Amino acid sequence: MNTKMSSNPTHHRPSSARRTGGAWLGLGAVLLVLSGCAARQSVVLVPDPAGHVGTAEVSTAAGRQTLQKAGDMTQIGKASAPPTAITKAQADFITATFGEALAIEPMPAQITTLLFESGATDLSTDTLALLDGIVTASKRQGVVRVSISGHSDATGTVQLNNEISYQRAERVRALLLERGVPARLMDVSSHGKGNPLVPTADGVSEPRNRRVMVVVR
Amino acid sequence: MKKHLSALALVFAAIAPTAQATEAKPLAATIGHVQNLSGSATVDRAGAALPAAAGMVLLQGDKVRTGRPGAAGVVLTDDTTIALGSGSELVLDDYAFAPQEGKFALALKLMKGTFSYVTGQIVKLSPESARVQTPSATIAVRGTKLLIEVAE
Repeated sequence: MNTKMSSNPTHHRPSSARRTGGAWLGLGAVLLVLSGCAARQSVVLVPDPAGHVGTAEVSTAAGRQTLQKAGDMTQIGKASAPPTAITKAQADFITATFGEALAIEPMPAQITTLLFESGATDLSTDTLALLDGIVTASKRQGVVRVSISGHSDATGTVQLNNEISYQRAERVRALLLERGVPARLMDVSSHGKGNPLVPTADGVSEPRNRRVMVVVR
Repeated sequence: MKKHLSALALVFAAIAPTAQATEAKPLAATIGHVQNLSGSATVDRAGAALPAAAGMVLLQGDKVRTGRPGAAGVVLTDDTTIALGSGSELVLDDYAFAPQEGKFALALKLMKGTFSYVTGQIVKLSPESARVQTPSATIAVRGTKLLIEVAE
C-alpha cells in the first residue's frame, strides 16, 4: 500500500513548481499512510501500588526516551521513528484510555512472612500463630492461589540452602493443609539464598532472610 | 580407542542437554494465573482457544485476549501483574523465575489494547532480564508501574 502511494507523485509532471508541490503532497500522503499503518502506542509512567516511581526506557530502532517522573508519557508510531519527546499524561486521558484496565487490576496480595531459626525447619510458637491469619485470608471470596516460597540466608552451602528452603516451604504447606487450606490452591517453591529480603554478602547470617513467604491472592 | 571415546562423547553430548533441559524446565510449567475477569476473555494455547476463568493457570506462550466488553487481571509467579482492558491481546512470550539457580527471563508482548503493568520480583532481582514489547517499541523497566496503550 505504501509503495503504491509513494509512486503516485511521479505521474504528475507538468511545471517543476507544480511537480515540487505534487511531491510534497505525495510525501504528506505517504507520512499519513505510514502513521496510520503503525498503530499509535502510548507509554505512561505512574506510581506503583506502594507509591514508588521507577523508570522506563522506551526504545525504537530510531531512538529512545526515558520516563522518570510520575505522569511522564511518550508516544510511538512506526518502529523506524523515535519515540516522541516526553509530555505529561493528562488525568482525563488516563481515565478515558485506561479506565477499564485500572478497574480490573488484581487487589494487592496478602503477604505473610514466617521466620525460622538458623538451620531449623520447624516453626516457633509465635510463628505458628501467624498461620491462622493465612487460613482466614485463604477463605475469602475470590482467592485463587496460595503461593508458598522457602528462603534461606547466605550461610552454608548452596545445596544445603536449597534443601532447607524447600523443607521450610513444605512444612508450612503441610501445616496449612492440616488447617483446612485446600491443596489445589497451594503451590510451593524453593528460592534458596537467591531471593533475599535483605541482600547480604555470602556467609552472613541474616535472620530476616531465613523465611517462608506465603502470598494469598 | 580415541575414536571410540570421541564417538561416545558425542553421544553423551547429544543426550545430556536434553536430559538436563527436561529436568530443569518441565514442559507446561505454571507461570501465573488469571486473577479476575469481567466480560469475555480467551486464552490461546497450542492452537486452541480456551475460555478464561478466574484461577486459570497460565503457561509460557499463552496469548490472553479480552473481548468487547471484556477485561482481565493476570498475575505471574514473580508477582508481575498485568491488567487488560477490552479488545486487548497479551502474549506471555518468555518466562523464567528460578532465583535458586539465578535464572530470570520475562518477555511480554502487548499486541493491541490497553494495559496496566506492575513489575514483579524478576525486575527487582534482574532488571536486564525483563522486557516489554509493543508492535514498534521495546520497554525496559526499573521497578514500577506503566500504563500502555496500543491503538488499532
